[in-house]
Amino acid sequence: MESQIKKIHQQLVSKQITCTALVQEKLDLLKQNTYNSVNSILDTLALELAAKVDAKIANGETIGLLEGIPFGIKDVYMLQGTYTTASSDLLKNYKSAYTATAIQKLLDAGAIPLVKENCDSFGHGSSSENTIFGAVKNAVNPELVAGGSSGGSAVNVAKDYTVFSIGGDTGGSIRQPAGYNHIYGFKPTYGRVSRYGLMAYASSTDCVGPLAKSIEDIRIVLNVMSGKDPKDQTSIASTEISEEAVAISSIKTVGYFKNFVESEAIDTQIKSDFLASIEKIKAKGIEVKELDFFKSDILVSTYYTLAMAETASNLSRLDGTNYGNRIEGENLIDTYAVTRSENFSEETKRRIVGGNQVLSQGFSEGIYLKGLALRDQISQNFSKDFEEVDIVLSPVTPSTPPKIGESLKDPLAMYLSDAYTVGFSLGQLPTLTVPQGTSTGLQITAAKNNDELVLQFANFLKDTI
Amino acid sequence: MTVDILSSIKGAQSSESVNKLFDVIRNASSNNNAANTVNYNCVSVNDLREDVVVESSAIEKQIILENFPNKKNGFLVVAKVIEG
Repeated sequence: MESQIKKIHQQLVSKQITCTALVQEKLDLLKQNTYNSVNSILDTLALELAAKVDAKIANGETIGLLEGIPFGIKDVYMLQGTYTTASSDLLKNYKSAYTATAIQKLLDAGAIPLVKENCDSFGHGSSSENTIFGAVKNAVNPELVAGGSSGGSAVNVAKDYTVFSIGGDTGGSIRQPAGYNHIYGFKPTYGRVSRYGLMAYASSTDCVGPLAKSIEDIRIVLNVMSGKDPKDQTSIASTEISEEAVAISSIKTVGYFKNFVESEAIDTQIKSDFLASIEKIKAKGIEVKELDFFKSDILVSTYYTLAMAETASNLSRLDGTNYGNRIEGENLIDTYAVTRSENFSEETKRRIVGGNQVLSQGFSEGIYLKGLALRDQISQNFSKDFEEVDIVLSPVTPSTPPKIGESLKDPLAMYLSDAYTVGFSLGQLPTLTVPQGTSTGLQITAAKNNDELVLQFANFLKDTI
Repeated sequence: MTVDILSSIKGAQSSESVNKLFDVIRNASSNNNAANTVNYNCVSVNDLREDVVVESSAIEKQIILENFPNKKNGFLVVAKVIEG
């Protein structure tokens, strides 16, 4: 699909449409939608901003490419004065006191925020069912889950309620819902986009990224959000990715992980579609190499061990003292415990408890520290692989989206469904889901800081398979 | 200390599903030579941001007060402290 951002920009500049009419149309769609993709609608703010864009155009002033473009925000990002609930009871009335850096950069570029989007509470989930706002329904088949945790964001983009949305990806939370809803979703190299103002889940893999319907829109939004930020000391400097740089592919060698496709867990259709895509790539003269990789259960267990440890630490601040839905107990300690027990979902509690388990004496050496060592080995494995290949291609998920209600019954099955996404999170690698190749898409991964190569290969694939 | 106390969650118990994940790690073979060599995200002391106090804006202060869970007669009410 062509760039929606450029198309709308052209329509605004040539006065085919007004920004107010565009924003109003999207707000109406969001309000009427039955997919549970919305936590709160920012109609007053959006219409105010739209009127300013219209005034600029009427005055003959030039507008930037993102000026007047309506977008959505996963409900874990701070936007001053708006509710930021993380889809949780604990923060259902919490208002952002400040604005996240990535969102501020989009506002500075003139983009218009329409909606705070439904997601798994605190990012804890792979289906967007772990939320107080109702399970998000899949955009293609509403009986199925939207995927998660950025499920509302993926559905809003897929249904054209937003032109693009900003999701958060800790272990696959942008890439998997993008795959389930047939759109693009990008997890940049860790640190490329500042995490300041993103509610922390697992700080060492949390990434800010866009979901959109075209590679060009992903590129435009990524460029605006990227950059080193003094407010996030893990953020890194990066250079802008030009349209020309991603137009022609320089990729000569592609690899894929043999054990991903040989796994018993993979759906037979996804497997055969993936292998058919590999054949089409070979037919274009690209060398394809089979690569050895860690077993899926090791990847999933390493990821969840570290992510649970980090979330137990990050969420310990949520005790109802300064903000949140405090429930008074008999004393201070009791107040903390009652507040957290009553307000956290079962899945969030499961992860906090698991995290504290692995961080406690007697467990940390055999599990947490070993998990850290395994993560280093996984990263070393990636470094070695990217000496041999330019790109790694993989399926996004082993199976098709489950029916709503099924994932919640079996947490272990939900964790294992992240088998193909979590490894790249542990490696902090740039990875894009493209809505091609298998029914839940393909993942394109490059070495750290090679985000440009990912988009380049995506453009190549668009015309190849 | 038990996990319910560590987590400040009443009646919290470890989950069977999560324990299965941990068992995989426990039984995995790991090469100790790799420990903490790749994924460090440390910040150079030459690259630290300025240690300056930034005054919050009026709107920020107002929202922080608005978010406070309990107020009485213009005071912010904290939870009861532990006695004894």
